[in-house]
Amino acid sequence: MTINKFAILSIALSTFFISCNDDSDTMDLESDYSNGILITGEGSGAITGSITFVPQDLSTPSQLIYKTENDSELGTHLQSMAFSDTRAYISVDNQHTITVVDRYSFKEIAKINSQLEHPRYMTVVGTKGYSTNWGSTAVDTDDFIAVIDLNSNTVEKTISVGLGPERIIARDGKLYISHKGAFDVNNIVSVIDIETEAVVEITVGDKPDELFFDANGNLFVLSEGAVEYDSNWNVIGNTLGSIAKINSQTNTVMTTINFGDEEHPSLLEIDGDNLYYFLNTEVYTLKTSDTSLPTTPLIETGGIYGMAIRDNQLYSIVASFSTLSDLNVYDLSSKSLIETLEVGVAASKIYFND
Amino acid sequence: MMKQITVIVFCLLAGQVCMAQNDSLVNPLGEVVVVADSYNKENSIGYKVQRLNDSVLLANQKSFTELLRYNTTIYLREYGAGGTSTARFRGTSASNTSVVWNGININSVNNGQTGFNSLSVNLLDNIVIRSGGGSIKYGSGAVGGTIHLNNTLSFENHFSNQIISGVGSYQTFQNLYKLSYGTPNFTIKFGAEMNQSNNDYPWLGTSFDNENGAYENVNFNLYAGLKVSNASTLSLYLSTYEATRHFSGELPNPSLAKEKYKDFNQRGLLVYTYRFGKLKQDLKAAYLTQEYNYYADKNVDNFDYGASKTYLLNYDLSYKLTSTIKLESLSEYTSVFGETNKIQEHNRRQFSQSLILTQDFSNDISYNIKVRKDFNSDYEIPLIAAFGIEFPILGAIRGRMNASKNYRVPSYNDLYWPGQGNAELIPETAKQLSTGVILTTKQTVVEMDLYIIHTQDKISWVPGGDPERPGVWVPINIDAVKNKGIEFSGQQQFYFNKSTIDVKASYAYVLAKDVATDKFLIFTPKHSFNTNLGWSYKRWESFYQFVYTGKVYTSEDNIDLFSISSFDVSNIGVNYIVFSKKTAQLQMGLKVNNLYNEVYQTSARRPMPNRNFNIQINYKF
Repeated sequence: MTINKFAILSIALSTFFISCNDDSDTMDLESDYSNGILITGEGSGAITGSITFVPQDLSTPSQLIYKTENDSELGTHLQSMAFSDTRAYISVDNQHTITVVDRYSFKEIAKINSQLEHPRYMTVVGTKGYSTNWGSTAVDTDDFIAVIDLNSNTVEKTISVGLGPERIIARDGKLYISHKGAFDVNNIVSVIDIETEAVVEITVGDKPDELFFDANGNLFVLSEGAVEYDSNWNVIGNTLGSIAKINSQTNTVMTTINFGDEEHPSLLEIDGDNLYYFLNTEVYTLKTSDTSLPTTPLIETGGIYGMAIRDNQLYSIVASFSTLSDLNVYDLSSKSLIETLEVGVAASKIYFND
Repeated sequence: MMKQITVIVFCLLAGQVCMAQNDSLVNPLGEVVVVADSYNKENSIGYKVQRLNDSVLLANQKSFTELLRYNTTIYLREYGAGGTSTARFRGTSASNTSVVWNGININSVNNGQTGFNSLSVNLLDNIVIRSGGGSIKYGSGAVGGTIHLNNTLSFENHFSNQIISGVGSYQTFQNLYKLSYGTPNFTIKFGAEMNQSNNDYPWLGTSFDNENGAYENVNFNLYAGLKVSNASTLSLYLSTYEATRHFSGELPNPSLAKEKYKDFNQRGLLVYTYRFGKLKQDLKAAYLTQEYNYYADKNVDNFDYGASKTYLLNYDLSYKLTSTIKLESLSEYTSVFGETNKIQEHNRRQFSQSLILTQDFSNDISYNIKVRKDFNSDYEIPLIAAFGIEFPILGAIRGRMNASKNYRVPSYNDLYWPGQGNAELIPETAKQLSTGVILTTKQTVVEMDLYIIHTQDKISWVPGGDPERPGVWVPINIDAVKNKGIEFSGQQQFYFNKSTIDVKASYAYVLAKDVATDKFLIFTPKHSFNTNLGWSYKRWESFYQFVYTGKVYTSEDNIDLFSISSFDVSNIGVNYIVFSKKTAQLQMGLKVNNLYNEVYQTSARRPMPNRNFNIQINYKF
């Protein structure tokens, strides 16, 4: 009955609209995920990787926006997103897939799933995308960068690199890649000339992850340092975590600031000339010109799995792998918690979708 | 849903189409039958027990998972049809379901569970589904319920053969041969079975197939019994099972799937029984092996393996003290050796002693009281106890009640997984209370049961479970869970003209909640319903099967967007008896599975099969 009534009503309404307004396209009204924050959740087990949209004013988040818009799931583990002016590229590691969506409506445009194997991060340069791939996790020598033609959304070639490529950023015709080492440990940053595909490797501390340029073209790399195990998985030692400052003209390490033994920092961020990182349960900050570590923390956050800094606000994620995670937003001047919002399961990365 | 209900109603009213499995009301065994687990019936005083006979097993030949899905309210989670499959009773966890083969618990040493697609049941004589705790008799993991795989030996003059051959969609082939021979003093049974399928069904609503889902398995059984004297019998049960399965992938990129899994299981059991006057004793010796090879990539000859050996000695002595009271002592010693390529071999030894007092009054009240104490080489297991009673209420209505405490010991993976295992784990324990009524007449059975289960120290894998190992997933004794529920089941036979109509249905309602968060457990549907309708007329038999499984959450905070939708699936089939003589019988059958082409999943992003067909020939001689 309800359906019939609805049908009659729809016909009546459409007749009315057609008669007075030809382009009444009300059914196709697209959702708008601009002017807000996009948080990716890796997913866990049966729980799909997901993307949460948090409006700029930190009002109610929209969960699983990709699933809502496309009625399908991304699978696990959603590692990261990259953006062009109009599109977002979602890398899902276990699915060997990069899903291309409209950056603002999140409607799917394409799926790239051939010639990718454990895609981790991607960066966009012009009409090309560069995706770091672990290759087979059983093989240490097949890791590569997939070069993706963003017009056809296909992998046009691959560039062989060292073990466990992770983050990738681009500057002045070059790609900069941190090699965390996949399930093992690596300690290099590779620099690839896009034009010639020549690869240069720079040695840094063990397990390099986040990397950023400052305004002067210096490259900052955070290495977490590794925990060493014996064959029975007992801890037998640690290598040092560090922040390396690299001259991108000469590809040499200018300074290395080491952390203490058994300290494993993570989640480096840069905002102007301030660097931020997370250690144990606290976030610390230092200047890009500093040569030693701060002795006092900036703010206590508890254990966090992701963070971002913007407009003197700290966005940090307390991840849960079986329920929604928490996004905590702190004001860094007053060091007070402004808002806590629920975001995806195993939430990890934060992107500002202006 | 509506269309299915319409069909059911139509079936009933018009006396149309429907089924054959109508032998479970009456059990016409006039023979001298020996079973290895001879105490199961009295051990189940006060419990809900459902029995699936061999005709039901053969009508659901495809897999153990499907057999249980269409005939019980156990929740089965299958990672795509034919893939890894786990079973949960009454909202408890998969490792709280024990599978018991001829009286012996055969759950995996490594993960504490049984894979319901890595076990064939077609050669069994019957399966008994016993809801409720059974640790007293069956040890670890018998918490939510136990599934008993039984073989019978018949000491009477007979010689029979049976061949069943089936062909189905996706190049599925099933072949089975059974032989049974017996005299009053000696009996032997042999069974061989081969199943094979490409299992590459299309994933409805997508452009994909169930790639990499092929399986094949071979199963041999040999059972023999010898009457040593009037009072004593010796029986031997041997079984081997060998399987190769591939694991299909998941959306959105199923083409990645390349996993392969090989199982090789052997079971041997020798039973000596002695019955003399008031004395009854059973001595059992068993040797079981389980082995698996897991290939992450079927094209690479590189695999993970796990293997276990179990030695078991079991002595059961009972004595009838008075005309109503019986005292039973059960002693069991097991020694388990388990290893994987990641876990060094560990030996776990356990001695347990149970005492059971049973009283059976002539006025139809019977009850028993049981206690068990285990001595385990790895950890303390608490003393457990159970109580069960059955009593008449009114006319054909009887009441039943049971209370028990049960446990589940940590598995080898929980304890020893490299870098993640937790040697500090203690067994999880569950207390439960169940009460029910049952009405039985010649043509009708109606049952209703209510239960509560309170589980403590439940073992869960959580990230950062051990503060010494931040970020690492570690199993810890953390959760407390309360389950409560109600179950209805019924069976009714109608006879008119020359037709027999048989209606079976069961419904279960479960509320299983985490005590700390007050949220529903993941993978626990609130509602489950199934029905089997059968109709036979002269040489024709037909049946209709229907199952409904409610929505399940996959996230612990019960977010709707992270749930797997409810589904209902129907199957229909028809059998024709080509001839039926005293010496030989030939029957042919056609079955249509997923009649309405329902799109459904039991595990996220892994669609289940579309409409498919199966033809079967069943020849007895």
